[in-house]
Amino acid sequence: MINLEEQISLFKNVIGTQLKRKVECIAIGGSAMMFYQAKNSTKDVDLVFLKKEDLEAVKEILFNSGFNERKNIKGIFREDEETSKPVMMESPETRFDLFLNEVIGFKIYHATIERLREVHEFGKFIVKTASPEDILMMKGCTERARDRDDAAELIKKVNINWEIIISETSNQTKIGMLDFPLLLYEFLTELKENYKIDVPKDITKELLAIAEKQFKELKKKGQLIKVTKYQKTRKFIY
Amino acid sequence: MELIQLAKRLEGLQTADSISVNLGVGKRTAVNYVWQLRKKGYVETVYGKRKIRMYKISPIKPIKTGYPGLYEFLNQNSKIRIYPPYTNRIYDHKPTAEEMIVKAVQTGDFRTVLSALNLFNKIKDWALLSKIAKKENIGRKIGALYDAARTIIRARRIDERTRKSLLKSEVDSKFIIKNARTKDLNHIEKMWNVYLPFNKADLEAYKE
Repeated sequence: MINLEEQISLFKNVIGTQLKRKVECIAIGGSAMMFYQAKNSTKDVDLVFLKKEDLEAVKEILFNSGFNERKNIKGIFREDEETSKPVMMESPETRFDLFLNEVIGFKIYHATIERLREVHEFGKFIVKTASPEDILMMKGCTERARDRDDAAELIKKVNINWEIIISETSNQTKIGMLDFPLLLYEFLTELKENYKIDVPKDITKELLAIAEKQFKELKKKGQLIKVTKYQKTRKFIY
Repeated sequence: MELIQLAKRLEGLQTADSISVNLGVGKRTAVNYVWQLRKKGYVETVYGKRKIRMYKISPIKPIKTGYPGLYEFLNQNSKIRIYPPYTNRIYDHKPTAEEMIVKAVQTGDFRTVLSALNLFNKIKDWALLSKIAKKENIGRKIGALYDAARTIIRARRIDERTRKSLLKSEVDSKFIIKNARTKDLNHIEKMWNVYLPFNKADLEAYKE
């Protein structure tokens, strides 16, 4: 586990001082939540890079600073796409998950960057924090219980702009994340039922409508979606 | 009501009057709520025109580690205030006026550049300003803005060596702000061969 002070110290003393050129990334998940003071500590530091060379530069610095790359990554990542899998750099105390453009079923593009709320400068290492709405949506794509805890905490502590959630859901389907509306719908419904979180009713309804529309269109076209994590529970997904 | 819920409900800029309307309570009770929120770190007080007290309320407590970034720096050092589009913190060194002027110009935002003119008054190392500006390919833009600033505010005189060095420097584009050109400060534009975005009326904001 790592707290905000340790995270700042790692960014500043380990990465920032060793970079030879300006590198930008987006902090997501628990790492970003710590900047928002919605969480005290996190298990792993999640960073998304928009350029491969930036990711490689940070990876090299971490390797030279005693972090080893974990090769056998299994579980929550989409099996069909290599890009959604992160580079995991771990030391006994902490772990860095370095993503490139995509985070487990959620694509990072210009709209995500426009919504960024904070910019932290550690010399040549610039860390921008994803907006609470984006963090929530990214958490919605995973199955881990602790992500549900984090999301519940985030909704409790921060004002979520639900209109952004709806418009982004449509955008994600347009850029190829076909299963996104359904995953998010399931996620928010679960939060509502199990964590007693106040999610507006019309939002879940609208998400379901987007998901259903998506499936109807796909059925018409005869295209199939592979969503392995819901294979057992949902009959209409192949 | 829990304080976090209250902070969420009142998020944004508020005055005692707006809070009392929003919550349906008296002005005195509204001030008491602000006091409670401030104690928990959800409130920052800012002053508007005619010294009207405004409360910037956010359920996200601001991080106090590191040094202030561009917008906070400008608000601390300039007469023209800006509502920051995002929070910016710098952790590795204390920012200087020299680097903040360059950053402000790089934003390409009218009000940010206008606000940064006041920083010419805080410059201690002209050579450093020239070095940073030339590195970012905005040397002549900085020179032109300095001359524009001198028409309205008192700023320390730039040394001749830096001035010459800035005059010779290269720029990526002639526009400081995209497609914005002055009608009044043409002599400065001509000298520096860049387009200034301000008219004299814009600079009057410094006289208010």
